Amino acid sequence: MHKLGRGHRDKVQQFMAITGTSEKVALQALKASDWHLEGAFDFFYSQPQIRAVTDSRHLEELYNRYKDPYVDMIMVDGVSLLCNDLQVDPQDIVMLVVSWHMKAATMCEFSRQEFISGLQSLGVDSIEKFREKLPSLRTELKDENKFREIYNFAFGWAKEKGQKSLALDTAIGMWQLLFAEKHWPLVDHWCQFLQVRHNKAISRDTWSQLLEFVKTIDPQLSNYDAQGAWPYLIDEFVEYLFDNGIIQREN
Amino acid sequence: MSAQKKRNFKIEAFKHRVEVDPKYAEKTWKILEHAIHEIYNHNASGLSFEELYSPFLVKTSASSWEFRNAYNMVLHKYGEKLYSGLVTTMTWHLKEIAKSIEAAQGGLFLEELNRKWGDHNKALQMIRDILMYMDRTFVPSNRKTPVHELGLNLWRDNIIHSHKIQTRLLDTLLDLIHRERTGEVINRGLMRNITKMLMDLGSSVYQEDFERPFLEVSASFYSGESQQFIECCDCGDYLKKAERRLNEEMERVSHYLDAKSEAKITSVVEKEMIANHMQRLVHMENSGLVNMLVDDKYEDLSRMYNLFRRVPEGLSTIRDVMTSHLRETGKQLVSDPERLRDPVDFVQRLLDMKDKHDKIISIAFNNDKTFQNALNSSFEYFINLNNRSPEFISLYVDDKLRKGLKGVTEEDVEVVLDKVMMLFRYLQEKDVFEKYYKQHLAKRLLSGKTVSDDAERSMIVKLKTECGYQFTSKLEGMFTDMRTSQDTMQGFYASQYSETGDGPTLAVQVLTTGSWPTQPSAPCNLPAEILGVCEKFRAYYLGTHTGRRLTWQTNMGTADIKATFGKGQKHELNVSTYQMCVLMLFNSADRLSYKEIEQATEIPAADLKRCLQSLACVKGKNVLRKEPMSKDIAEDDAFYFNDKFTSKFIKVKIGTVVAQKESEPEKHETRQRVEEDRKPQIEAAIVRIMKSRRVLDHNSIVTEVTTQLQSRFLPNPVVIKKRIESLIEREFLERDKADRKLYRYLA
Repeated sequence: MHKLGRGHRDKVQQFMAITGTSEKVALQALKASDWHLEGAFDFFYSQPQIRAVTDSRHLEELYNRYKDPYVDMIMVDGVSLLCNDLQVDPQDIVMLVVSWHMKAATMCEFSRQEFISGLQSLGVDSIEKFREKLPSLRTELKDENKFREIYNFAFGWAKEKGQKSLALDTAIGMWQLLFAEKHWPLVDHWCQFLQVRHNKAISRDTWSQLLEFVKTIDPQLSNYDAQGAWPYLIDEFVEYLFDNGIIQREN
Repeated sequence: MSAQKKRNFKIEAFKHRVEVDPKYAEKTWKILEHAIHEIYNHNASGLSFEELYSPFLVKTSASSWEFRNAYNMVLHKYGEKLYSGLVTTMTWHLKEIAKSIEAAQGGLFLEELNRKWGDHNKALQMIRDILMYMDRTFVPSNRKTPVHELGLNLWRDNIIHSHKIQTRLLDTLLDLIHRERTGEVINRGLMRNITKMLMDLGSSVYQEDFERPFLEVSASFYSGESQQFIECCDCGDYLKKAERRLNEEMERVSHYLDAKSEAKITSVVEKEMIANHMQRLVHMENSGLVNMLVDDKYEDLSRMYNLFRRVPEGLSTIRDVMTSHLRETGKQLVSDPERLRDPVDFVQRLLDMKDKHDKIISIAFNNDKTFQNALNSSFEYFINLNNRSPEFISLYVDDKLRKGLKGVTEEDVEVVLDKVMMLFRYLQEKDVFEKYYKQHLAKRLLSGKTVSDDAERSMIVKLKTECGYQFTSKLEGMFTDMRTSQDTMQGFYASQYSETGDGPTLAVQVLTTGSWPTQPSAPCNLPAEILGVCEKFRAYYLGTHTGRRLTWQTNMGTADIKATFGKGQKHELNVSTYQMCVLMLFNSADRLSYKEIEQATEIPAADLKRCLQSLACVKGKNVLRKEPMSKDIAEDDAFYFNDKFTSKFIKVKIGTVVAQKESEPEKHETRQRVEEDRKPQIEAAIVRIMKSRRVLDHNSIVTEVTTQLQSRFLPNPVVIKKRIESLIEREFLERDKADRKLYRYLA
């Protein structure tokens, strides 16, 4: 940044703030548009994700830093270290986004393949670049389609290997996390309902249908249709809300 | 002049041409005018036809005469003069007649009118004869009204529509009818003539001058009368009165009104007396439809049916009230806790209710199919309100097959079973019935307590016809096992011939596991005396049937034991296997504690307690004595052989293998098993449907599944939904990506 004039530096800052991209990307875009911000935005948004070239040697080094001593995988300790380096809380939802990019099979684990090709697709090969990338990863959650993909990915990622369903506690934790991003006023009631009335694992269909429910049905349930082919657990949840006076029945 | 002397007139071509000048025409007319006058004035009476008409006749041959004058006038173009002269003359006469009719006093008015009408008709006939040539030639070619019709029209205009007569005529007629309605006798012949006269004058005359006002007056008469009746009569009486009035009116029409009036007057009576009061009649307190149904008032009901069917919504009114009465009564019947104590009585009451109403529909409601349907749908409604109905119906059949049909003829057996099948058809949860039927049948077969094998089979056949082979295949398997077991026992004893000892005689039924109702059998320790022969049987059986496994069902067996009591009385006790195990212990001990018995026999606690209760706490069956003497079995009770036991019977039955109404926990368990059994059936239906349809929306799946399974049970939509979700999880189905209400079959 030091070589840039003041005006340019400002533009770079602005660009980064608005698009959430790294300095490198900002520079690329602004240069391509001859330092016009508008043009830079056009350039940026019309390009597919700019693939920065990554150095595979660096990637190997990174992997080895976090890899478990006994298994060829990054396990819990490695992940903690990674989060530390990234200056990010391990519970931070951005780690879910990262895992999604890596197509990680299970939470708190990364295989060599997952880690390395994941970083490649993100276009980072160092912790600094990784750290810089984090804001843009966060903003991906704001995109409707991406959120849905990440949400549905979360099911398979969070459940135990070999299980078909997701343990209730884990599911509740995930929901709390996800619906903090995409605000759903009924999430606490949902979690309470499950603990009181269901107390069993969550099926994939229920998981994915819940998002549809959140997206299409308003929090007062005025457009809830009992004939709407919602999973029975959701039907029971609606009954629970009515029976306990949390939502008024409209009749 | 008499009509009999009239001859047929042929108009023959007049051979001579005769010149007619105006003066001659006038003279001719005068002659004819005179003839008409004569006719009207009756001066012709007494004279023969020829005598009357001789001046006007010409004999043209031996047998034919002619009215020369009329003929001449017409021929020579004086037809118009003739015709208008006719009109004038007739009109003049009719006006005179009108005056005489008007002058008639009171009751004579109608008679005078009638008489004059008769005269007019006769006169008209003669006039027409005189003027026949004119009628046939001049009239049509000049588009004039023919003579006869002219005569009628003139009568109508000058008599009937004369303002002094018109009103009086109508009032007189209506007054007479009113009097007849209030009970007086009137001159019906006269009435008939008058109304016929009006019809002859044209149906519009009849309708305007009589029928329409008649209908109006009748409507208000019956409106008033029905109001009066309904205040003071009960429903049955009212209907009788209404029927009577209806019949009266029909009779009235047949006697002195035009036939077309019947439909109109009956519809007036129907409206005023029936249609306007339907609701009040049907719901009348203490005498309405419901009371009639309850008291089997066939005649009243039949009358109501026949009257109400004449009016719109009549039958549907009866049907609706009957339906809601049936539903209410049935609902009370199936919910009454008193009734529910005795299942056999419960079902009997249902059958009685069905019989009662079948009879009513057959006798009083003309076997009307819509009423049959209403009866059926009502039964279907309330029978299924009580979810124990399937169990109870099975218990009823059990009772009948066990003893109720003893000594009954084959035809009567069929009748009873057919009636039970009718109730069976109403059940929504036929699979629950199947479960209970199996249990009860098993008990009957194993205890040998069935009245008639034929009756049992007949019932199976009926169930098979109703529900298909699958329903009954296991039941039939049970019968097969019984027969096979008999053969097996024969074979067994034949093979033991060299070892006949004083050991106990064994009778074994070998039950194929899949066919019989599964009951987990807890093992118990059989007495040594039995063990020997049991093992021999096991060896024998497995010798001839390799690869099978036998498990003794000690909770389902019976035993006959000979017991000797204190003073030497011998009795033969018929007991359950468990009871036998307990009793045999007392061969080597006089006193045993509960704990000791439990240890020795290893019978499960609940069963053991029940068993001991039946041995020690039931009057007349207490072969054991218990200390303390309480009804319940406590863990520290002690039991003694009851030396002092007496019974007037040599054979004493203490067994508890009779089918009975389930206790709450048993009922709960059975229902759970039924629910479990339904899940795979629902899934199979879903898969079948999706396999053929490939893609289908949720509600359609629910509908189709329900349709497919309705002959067995009514599936709960929530359960269907859960099954769908289970199938999604097992990857038989998936949701459509675009429309989440659609499911796809995954091959």
